[in-house]
Amino acid sequence: MMEKTIEVKNLKINYRTMEPAKVTKLFKKGRRVNLEHAVKGVSFDVYKGEIVGLVGQNGSGKSTTLRCLAGIISPDEGEVNLFGNSVSLLAIGVGFQKELTGRANIMLSGLLMGFTEKEIKSKMKEIIEFSELGKYINKPVGSYSSGMHSRLAFAITAILDTDILLVDEVLSVGDARFKKKSHQKMKELIMDKDRTVIMISHSLDTMKKMCDRIIWLHEGEINMVGKPKEVLAKYEEFMTGEK
Amino acid sequence: MYLRRFFGDLTKYRKYLVYSAKASLKSEVAGSYLAWLWWILEPFCFMLIYKFIAETVFQRNLPSAALFVFLGITVWNFFNKNISASAMLLKHNKGIITKIYLPKYLLCIKQILVNGFKMVISLAICFVLALYYRIILDWHIILIIPSLIMLVLNTFGFGCLVMHFGVYIQDLSNIVRIALRLVFYLSGVFYNIGTLKPYGPLLLNINPVALAMEGCRNALMFGKEPDWVMLGIWTAVGIVTSVLGIMVVYKNENNYGKIL
Repeated sequence: MMEKTIEVKNLKINYRTMEPAKVTKLFKKGRRVNLEHAVKGVSFDVYKGEIVGLVGQNGSGKSTTLRCLAGIISPDEGEVNLFGNSVSLLAIGVGFQKELTGRANIMLSGLLMGFTEKEIKSKMKEIIEFSELGKYINKPVGSYSSGMHSRLAFAITAILDTDILLVDEVLSVGDARFKKKSHQKMKELIMDKDRTVIMISHSLDTMKKMCDRIIWLHEGEINMVGKPKEVLAKYEEFMTGEK
Repeated sequence: MYLRRFFGDLTKYRKYLVYSAKASLKSEVAGSYLAWLWWILEPFCFMLIYKFIAETVFQRNLPSAALFVFLGITVWNFFNKNISASAMLLKHNKGIITKIYLPKYLLCIKQILVNGFKMVISLAICFVLALYYRIILDWHIILIIPSLIMLVLNTFGFGCLVMHFGVYIQDLSNIVRIALRLVFYLSGVFYNIGTLKPYGPLLLNINPVALAMEGCRNALMFGKEPDWVMLGIWTAVGIVTSVLGIMVVYKNENNYGKIL
């Protein structure tokens, strides 16, 4: 029997947004609280090693669902069970302080991502090697070129990996050569048989090649779930039909 | 439920808190020639300025006037820096909170750690100054701790609330700045507020910053006990505002990312 790594039950996420107000308008009548139903009762399971793709138009709730699975936002109703697995949303360069060295930023970023000091230290060498920064790792990040900055940020995210990986657009950064290397690393991470992946990509071709299953979200609800070939064909038909 | 989660998160993120507070302190002095020496030099130079103003310009009768003022400034700086930063704390950390989960009040705690470190250095200079003025330090010195605990609790509680409302009210940082200026003049940084007639004692009792200053001065300079009743009341207020702040922040933290 396949091991369940993610269980999402009747997930509902609302955004109660109150537009930032000036003090003079703070107590004015009619200051509206907007209630936006971003995800409206979505349920699905994901199994160990599975690669699940989320597709849907802009505003369909894909990124909100992913951010909820990553714990960045909490559900208003329903449940998300990760069965104790570690999870991370691929986001590069989080929490960097430009006055600190690359090495210090690896530690800072890693701790912020929820890794222990020991885990980060054990992967430090690998991160530095992958980033190809050499002696610049001991220089302040503020002195890096944008390419060097991206390489370090990508290396941290790619090397400090988790049981469940959430990918909002496949990342590839740096110059042409590093772009190829980072894309290859992303592919390796995603295709690892022990890792569960949920990904969003606007490239349907990438989704078709990489995913085992596709969940099509439409206006916060699941429209269709199934094999990539079937779901993506319907989705493409829907998108081109609407256009 | 929220409190259990709070202590769980505090344990989980304690290493990050310490590391990021250290990183912020290092960032502040990075690139300067004297580096960490500035953490000592800055308060020391301020102390010399206050000594000059108190003893030479105003010719205060109190021989330890510089210590009196410097102790007041030390307590005030801690409260002022934390509260004024709180209004924009989430906006300034937008890059983190929209990409990764982090209990948002940790940003307040990090701020308190950074400013707390600076306060400890200033307090150490106060001790040196007390020795210079030949003030006899006795067991009362440990009574500085309850006053500081009360100050930290109130700073954290009010800081969390200001941080939360700072997301929804655009001009909050301006209002906070003006309110803090008022609190500054009502805290007795340069004078003994408790002796002002007729409202001095009242002002002392309704202002936790003034009470903390008074408590620290009593412990370090006058060998006296603090006003235990008011200290107890304001410690209780600090606990209540801290719990309230934690609850409000936990309850609303999934909305901050969207609004920011």
